[in-house]
Formats: sequence, C-alpha cells, structure tokens
Amino acid sequence: MILAIDIALLVMLAVVGIAIIRLRNLFAVVMLSGIYSLLMASTFVLLDAVDVAFTEAAVGAGISTVLLLGVLTLTKSREKIPVTTPLLPLVTVVVTGALLIYGTWDLPAFGDPNAPAHRHVAPEYLAEATHETGAPNVVTAVLASYRGYDTLGEVTVIFTAGIGVLLLLSGSGVLRRREPEENDDKPGGAA
Amino acid sequence: MFTAAAIGILVTMSLALMRALLGPTTFDRILALNMVGTKTTLLIAVVGFLTDRPDFMDIALVYALINFIGVIAVLRYTKYGEFLTEGSAEE
Amino acid sequence: MAATLDILSWILIVIGAGLSIVGAVGLLRFPDFFTRLHAAGIADTLGAWALMVGILLQAESWLVAVKLILIVVFLFFTSPTATHALARAALASRLNPWTKNATGPKP
Repeated sequence: MILAIDIALLVMLAVVGIAIIRLRNLFAVVMLSGIYSLLMASTFVLLDAVDVAFTEAAVGAGISTVLLLGVLTLTKSREKIPVTTPLLPLVTVVVTGALLIYGTWDLPAFGDPNAPAHRHVAPEYLAEATHETGAPNVVTAVLASYRGYDTLGEVTVIFTAGIGVLLLLSGSGVLRRREPEENDDKPGGAA
Repeated sequence: MFTAAAIGILVTMSLALMRALLGPTTFDRILALNMVGTKTTLLIAVVGFLTDRPDFMDIALVYALINFIGVIAVLRYTKYGEFLTEGSAEE
Repeated sequence: MAATLDILSWILIVIGAGLSIVGAVGLLRFPDFFTRLHAAGIADTLGAWALMVGILLQAESWLVAVKLILIVVFLFFTSPTATHALARAALASRLNPWTKNATGPKP
C-alpha cells in the first residue's frame, strides 16, 4: 500500500513539474511549486524522513511561496517566451540525470542496516551520546554537540541569506513607493 | 480501513491538482493549493496509522497550521499585487 | 465494543473520503470560482472532519488522540476562515459571480 501511495505521489510530482516548465503565468508557477513542496513533503514522510519533510513544508510551501509572491509584486508575472530552442541545456540535463541514475546503482538499499552511513560513527553516537553530552535526544546531541560548529555555520549562512532577502525586497519597496502613481502596499513588509 | 482513506485522499489530491493546472483565475489556484495542503495533513495522519507509527501526528498538526498561515499570507499579496488582474483577464 | 468502534470509524471514514472526493469533483466541474469555493469549502471541511474523527476512534494512546483532536479543532476553524478570506479577496478584486444568463464571469 505504501508503495502505491509512493507511486501516486511521484506521478503527481512529475505532472506538477512538467506543468511548471510549460506554464508562462508565473503566479500559477508559484502556486504549483507550493503544491510540489507539499507533495515532496508527503514523500519524505513516507520515506521516514520526518524532519526533512517538516523543513520542506515550512520552507518550500510556506516561506518560499510568500517570498516568490513578494518578488512577483515587484516584477512582471508573465514569463517571456524564449527565442532560442534550449537544446544544449536539454542535453546537459539528460546527461547529468543519466549519470545520477547510474550513480544510484551503487547506493545501498533503502533502510539497509549494513550501509556505510550506519556503521561509521552511528553506533558510537547511539551508545555514548546520552552520557557524553547529557542530551536525551540523540539527534539533538549530534546536531548541537558533536557537530556544534557545523550547525553554527549553517545558522550563520541562513541568517545572512535572510538579511540579504529582506534588504533586497524592502529596498525595492522603498523605491516603488516613491513613484507618484504607485499606491501599492509595502510589498516586502511581511517577508 | 486506512487504505480506503488513503485512496480517497489521493483521488481528491489529484483532482485538486487538475484544478490548479487548469486555473483560470488566481483564486482557483490558491483554493486548489489550500485543498492540497489540507489533504497533505490528512494523508500524513493516515499514513501514520497505516504504518503503525502514530508519532507522525505532530507533523500533521504543524502542517495544518502552516497551510492556514500560508493561505492567509498568499491572500495578503494577491490583494495588492497587479498579477491579479492579469490572471483574471486570461479567461 | 471494539467492533462497534470499527463500524463507526468505517462509516466516518467512508463519509469523509466520499465528501472529499465530491468536493474535489465540484472543484473541478463547477463553472466559476465562487461555485467552486462553495463545493470545496463546505464539503472539504466536513470531509476532513469526518475522516479525522474516523481515525480518532482507532487511536490507541491518549497522546495520539489528543493530537488528533487538536488537528480536528484547527481544521474546523482554519478551513472556513481560509475559505472566507478567499471569497473576500475575490470579491474585493471585483471577480463577478457566475449567473445563468451570462456566459461566464466577466473580468
């Protein structure tokens, strides 16, 4: 049954992906990418990656939809029809995709307990985490203690990116509001 | 029992997806997005029971909230954005 | 007792799934936005509610049951609110409701 749900979700993902490429109305594309994120999040839940699913729903369906809409209020909402046929990108994408699929053949099976990722440091973490760090949750122990600096770096990157987006959106908003005929509400206000 | 629920939810999701693809106004698409969001919440809850892992309820709970906040945020933009008129002029 | 609960949750789940599908068919087939909103908003709210209550009857622990009740309560309030906000925004943007005489919604 889980397999059937997987297949149904993946088919819907493919349909949404193709539609996103074909549509020229950018508002529709933003809505469809929100739907894409929700479907992707469901797939992650089916793969037992609950934390990734949570991030996908919050960032993909929540924040990025709002950010993209904020951008759409600043620009035109119709994509120009390209004049050249995108043959080179198509070839590049097909070759890259084929290489990636070839690469998956060497991956261990899904959930395989003998996979290298589960044999390297995971047993040590599981055995030692509680009395080495004092955190009751092993994932928290790994993220906040064993990989503390890594997490700090990630948070710094996200913080910087957030400030950059805020500056970009609110900056253009100030410029727009100076135009006399423009009585647009602040487009970057809630971003 | 949960299988029947999951099938119903998946059928609903695909129908809402078709409406999101067809449009024609922007509000139709927002409505479809909202529907897919609600159905995602339900699907995750049902899958939690289907796989005997009811811990997934937390995720479903948060999804319900994110979906609501998302729709309200999207509406706040559609109210003032100019893409609105363009979307309805397409019919 | 368990059999009664099973039958009850079967009934609720079938009602819920059926209402969801009916709402989605309405969303797909109705002529304009407001009628689609009507189909989706009403059938969807009750459908989601019935489905969740049907699942709720199968919950084994109290913690899961409480979380499910929270989801039901949230959906019960947020779904009509979202529908209402959508209708208001559509009206504010002067989207005309469909009538039998007109061929379609005027922009």
